[in-house]
Amino acid sequence: MTDIIISHPAHDPAAFDEFGCHVYAASPSTPDKLTPTKRFFRQVSSWNVTMADGKSVPFWGFKDPNVSGSDSPWPSKIIRVNVGDIVHCNMKPSKGTHTIHWHGIEPTPMNDGVGHTSFEVKSEYTYQWQASTAGTYFYHCHKNTVLHFEMGMYGILIVDPKSKTKKLYDPEEGDKLGDATIPARYPAYDAEGIWCFDDVDPRWHLYDHDAGICGEDIGMDRFEPKYFLCSGVPSNKTLTDSRTLVKAKAGSPVLLRIVNASYSELRITFPKDVLVAEEDGRVFRTNPLRGNFSKPFWTRTLNLSTAQRYSVFLDAPAAGRSCDVKTEFLHWCDYNRVQGTVTTRVLGT
Amino acid sequence: MKRRSFLKRGLLSGAVAAGAAVSPLGLRQGFAGDDDVLEDILDDFEGPEIRLDIDDVKLELIDGKRVFMWAFGLHDDAPTIPGPVLRLEQGKTYLFEIRNRSTSRHSFTIPGMVSPDGLAVHVELEGKDDSDNSRKSILVLAKDCGAFLYQDALNAPIGRVMGLHGFCVVEPKENITVGNGNIPYPTSVAPQAVTSLFETLGLEGSVFPGNGWKAKSDREREWIFNSVDPRWCDRFEQGQVVSAGEATDFKPRYFTLNGNSGYDAAHDHDCVPTGTIGQPLILRTANAGLAWHSPHIHGNHVYEFSRRSAKGELRLHDNIREIDTWTMPPGEIAELLLPFKMPPDIPLSKRPPNAQEKFPYSFPMHCHNEISQTSGGGSYPMGLVTDWVITGPYKG
Ligand SMILES: [Cu+2]
Ligand SMILES: [Cu+2]
Repeated sequence: MTDIIISHPAHDPAAFDEFGCHVYAASPSTPDKLTPTKRFFRQVSSWNVTMADGKSVPFWGFKDPNVSGSDSPWPSKIIRVNVGDIVHCNMKPSKGTHTIHWHGIEPTPMNDGVGHTSFEVKSEYTYQWQASTAGTYFYHCHKNTVLHFEMGMYGILIVDPKSKTKKLYDPEEGDKLGDATIPARYPAYDAEGIWCFDDVDPRWHLYDHDAGICGEDIGMDRFEPKYFLCSGVPSNKTLTDSRTLVKAKAGSPVLLRIVNASYSELRITFPKDVLVAEEDGRVFRTNPLRGNFSKPFWTRTLNLSTAQRYSVFLDAPAAGRSCDVKTEFLHWCDYNRVQGTVTTRVLGT
Repeated sequence: MKRRSFLKRGLLSGAVAAGAAVSPLGLRQGFAGDDDVLEDILDDFEGPEIRLDIDDVKLELIDGKRVFMWAFGLHDDAPTIPGPVLRLEQGKTYLFEIRNRSTSRHSFTIPGMVSPDGLAVHVELEGKDDSDNSRKSILVLAKDCGAFLYQDALNAPIGRVMGLHGFCVVEPKENITVGNGNIPYPTSVAPQAVTSLFETLGLEGSVFPGNGWKAKSDREREWIFNSVDPRWCDRFEQGQVVSAGEATDFKPRYFTLNGNSGYDAAHDHDCVPTGTIGQPLILRTANAGLAWHSPHIHGNHVYEFSRRSAKGELRLHDNIREIDTWTMPPGEIAELLLPFKMPPDIPLSKRPPNAQEKFPYSFPMHCHNEISQTSGGGSYPMGLVTDWVITGPYKG
């Protein structure tokens, strides 16, 4: 019907191969190595997670090999550091190659965990970076990410301020507090909730680590989630499980850190306005010294596409009363289709 | 055909096709066919012309598969997906001449742009077999600065997804200076937050040491994301039509950035932002496809300063978010500033040049709805991904 072809010049086959199918794998020593102030260990592991219907689905993730009993948590154990820390994380892939990408953290390419711009870890590597900015991040494998991220290879990463009190961030010189910016009763908080939403297509959880990576069509263009979770808790238990239920003294400030680890668009509805104080590890600061262009805002709904994070503040409800938050998982192409819903709760005490 | 008769046929056929309000300068809807008026307008028009053709094409994908699509191209130039970036100057009027050489009907539409008499930019073109009605002309006034997505909106959004889209960027007539550099919008239009962002660039002691932003330089990149459902391509190739109502049944298998995927995008100058520390760059990103994308950039956070909706309405932000991931709904445009800062989480004492790990630093930008990182149901990362490169330290 047409003989006009928009072609692409032939690739250098070796370079093409190294970009995707056979990525450079190595176990180098860390360049520019410093003495760490925080040290972590992670090893690739696998386990089963129980879904809302009682079915057990295989997951992968990172365990801490030095702590017995730490095989169980999924998502992988939280990593929490303070601004200024020199962070080391020794990672052992154990099955095939893997990486850790410190999402939102911006280190050198060697420590960024992306195969085609550096390397995939063969037997072990110690990642190094220095925490610069307080906020909400996560860490995840960046090999065959479409599969390894869905398989659950992620954990929450929080950079706390230097002050080591329960605070989202330390106010800086020049910050405008108590007017257009964050009200004076924040950014400290009494209670914290970490809500990391995920959706699961059980068909994907039967694949091998390298499935699809060298060109086989294994149907990774189709994602039909059957299960919806928050922080590893299936949707039928999120109102009561201690991982998702946030209990807080009536009227006290509550910080909710919200992460989208699903392959859906999330539409989150709060019963009343909340103050959005941080996005993607950056505080909405009003500070003429840092450029006078950002400010926190109040809202009742938030939309998050995959990998976005928000922190919001609210005041805990009266004792015995609850503030229920509805999260809808919208299909990434058919946006009006709600595939699943998870409700989470802040309970006043 | 001479230019004059080419134009005349286009203009007159426009009158037949649309037949709405009289539009003496827009030369679009309901032109009554008064040949003398028409001649006058054409004689008087001495401004720049942009001639675009629409063609049926086969697009070669990253795995070598070829799919049927439609493409814009500058007249007598090879068609491309997306179409060429058209750079207009604010205040000027342009004569667009569109020729449809495809077998299907299409339109040429620029949501948010207007003709000199304030009407929407929209002409409809019959397929090439109806040659009288397959050519149209329209005057376009570059009234407002910003980024626009020209597209086929006849069977919206199908034509756009099937390849008929491209960036049209209206730049200020003269570089507008704020602080140590330029700003892409007049300061009379930009909210205080946008002006402050550009003013802060390159200021001593600010969060952006280095240079200000430089207009009309290499300090900008346009990224159009698209996705391909080969079932739709096959149906159009066989002469069938996919109706707009079927848009919710979109099942993309290929994902592109400026028509490239994976390896190809990471090796294309127009896709890869490049520069030293302290050379900020503007990213104009649009989603021509129907999947919601979640582009994520490594190495630096970006500052989103504008959005244009699929309908063409511009919103310059009065609150600028510093983010590593942004949402791209179908049809939308977002403008962001990539500051080319020193990646902030490199230990302070180990930043180049006093470091073993030297420049250049390559970081990826990819859609984090990772389904889009595949090609043909597998092949990570051969989808919507490219790289950006910090070539060296600040040079002054
Ligand atoms: Cu992995
Ligand atoms: Cu990520």
